[in-house]
Amino acid sequence: MTSPASTPIPQGAGSSATPSVAPARSNTSNATSSLGTFGVKSGLAQMLKGGVIMDVVNAEQARIAEEAGACAVMALERVPADIRAEGGVARMSDPKMIKDIVEAVTIPVMAKVRIGHFVEAQILQVIGVDYIDESEVLTPADDEHHINKHNFKVPFVCGARNLGEALRRISEGAAMIRTKGEAGTGNVVEAVRHERAVNSEIRKASSMNEEELYTYAKEIQAPFHLLKEVARLKRLPVVNFAAGGIATPADAALMMQLGCDGVFVGSGIFKSGDAAKRARAIVQAVTHYNNPKVLAEVSEDLGPAMVGLTIDANLKGGQMAARGW
Amino acid sequence: MDSLSVSNDLTIGILSLQGAFVEHQVSIERLNLNRRIRVLQVRTEQDLDQCNALIIPGGESTTIALLARLSGLFEPLKQFANTKPVWGTCAGAILLSNSVVGAKKGGQELLGGMSISIARNGWGSQIESFEAPLQVDGLRDSTRPFSGIFIRAPVLLALKNSPNDPPIQVVARLPQELTPESLISQVEEFDADTTTIVAIRQGLHLLTTFHPELTKDDRFHEYFVRECVLNANSP
Repeated sequence: MTSPASTPIPQGAGSSATPSVAPARSNTSNATSSLGTFGVKSGLAQMLKGGVIMDVVNAEQARIAEEAGACAVMALERVPADIRAEGGVARMSDPKMIKDIVEAVTIPVMAKVRIGHFVEAQILQVIGVDYIDESEVLTPADDEHHINKHNFKVPFVCGARNLGEALRRISEGAAMIRTKGEAGTGNVVEAVRHERAVNSEIRKASSMNEEELYTYAKEIQAPFHLLKEVARLKRLPVVNFAAGGIATPADAALMMQLGCDGVFVGSGIFKSGDAAKRARAIVQAVTHYNNPKVLAEVSEDLGPAMVGLTIDANLKGGQMAARGW
Repeated sequence: MDSLSVSNDLTIGILSLQGAFVEHQVSIERLNLNRRIRVLQVRTEQDLDQCNALIIPGGESTTIALLARLSGLFEPLKQFANTKPVWGTCAGAILLSNSVVGAKKGGQELLGGMSISIARNGWGSQIESFEAPLQVDGLRDSTRPFSGIFIRAPVLLALKNSPNDPPIQVVARLPQELTPESLISQVEEFDADTTTIVAIRQGLHLLTTFHPELTKDDRFHEYFVRECVLNANSP
């Protein structure tokens, strides 16, 4: 195994350019294997498909999520609803708390860093999280730049409101995309808006010829080669999850029917009446998203959902989706 | 198999509860065989009843097992694995194993069917996930290496076939230097030679700890259909 001391630090301002290819497993391994390739980064996202990733704030909640069938957990100090309510600067969580969660469960553990905060990302990589969310839910650390994600062995997921934003993040190295939605509101309207926007732009690009794609790439501020790939595939080149405001099994199935590959649920589970039951119901809803009969069964008798918020100019904590560039 | 004499169509099911099931579907549909193959996403017992063979994809083994239990598929799947060809990749390989090390707290349910013991996340967290070329005899064009993609992959710990079990055939191995060192301290029955095994066959079953469905190379899918499904149906 590579030791931390021999591993080049992924990104440092002013440091010499790091190679874009992943380092070999060890110096002696005659290049027979390689770690942290884009294939294994986007591959883990493919293994999460059809699953639910749940926000948890401690090991006990992480165990509840695992027992309810979560395919991964997102470790954070405060769920978005509390970040909204309490205000202040929201940062990466205490590594101790994340390590406790890694110890408690066998499923992948994700954690959030502030937009542009590559040192928080270095810390999360070294403590062994499985995925990093460069998230608008935390207070941005850089109001111009996102992290250069290619240089990390750990994969990244990023939020996007439209195709251009998604492709800019993929260009920076994101191996998975999610809608931004509006976190901590229990209101699915923004997630729907973002997923529909991405789909509509993909359909538009798919019908264009190459000359038109050059112009469209400029218009949506996306790298041409990625846009061309999207037009060919008729979908994003990486896995695309729903996030931001999903609170019920029906919300989750709605996002799946709109074309998402899986679902993040943040405050929606542990801010509701019966977390374990709701979590399990949302997991089933994502698998059987096309079967209204199953959706009706699992939606029954779940207790109170989280309190929803109207998204307008008075929204406490502001509109997080506007963060990111 | 009786159903085959009725219809010439072969139905391969892909357990579609969670994980990378679409990728398997695409790979099977790309195969160019002289036998018509129908691919079916399996979410209910009625779906499973139509299948001649099954692929259990990668994903999270705990999630897939729970969803199988909640969908009333768990016992039917166990019975299916007793009599029909099944291929498990990664999480699917864990579910096909008779025993598991590194299960979630309180243990986890397995379908079983292959007499092996396996360790979950044998190499550690995602940053230890890797790609490595594999030399696999038995594949078409076998001198060309197969690109093995190992993602939080399980590791075979022991082959435990009793005299009554079908023999186990090793299909692919990793080079010795890629042995998951982090396991040595945690596992009693550690055997360095067994831990290099990444693909086996036993009876009608195929197991791979890596992900052929994430490559554009369909040779493993072709191998499963040819060796485990078609051969088993026309002895």
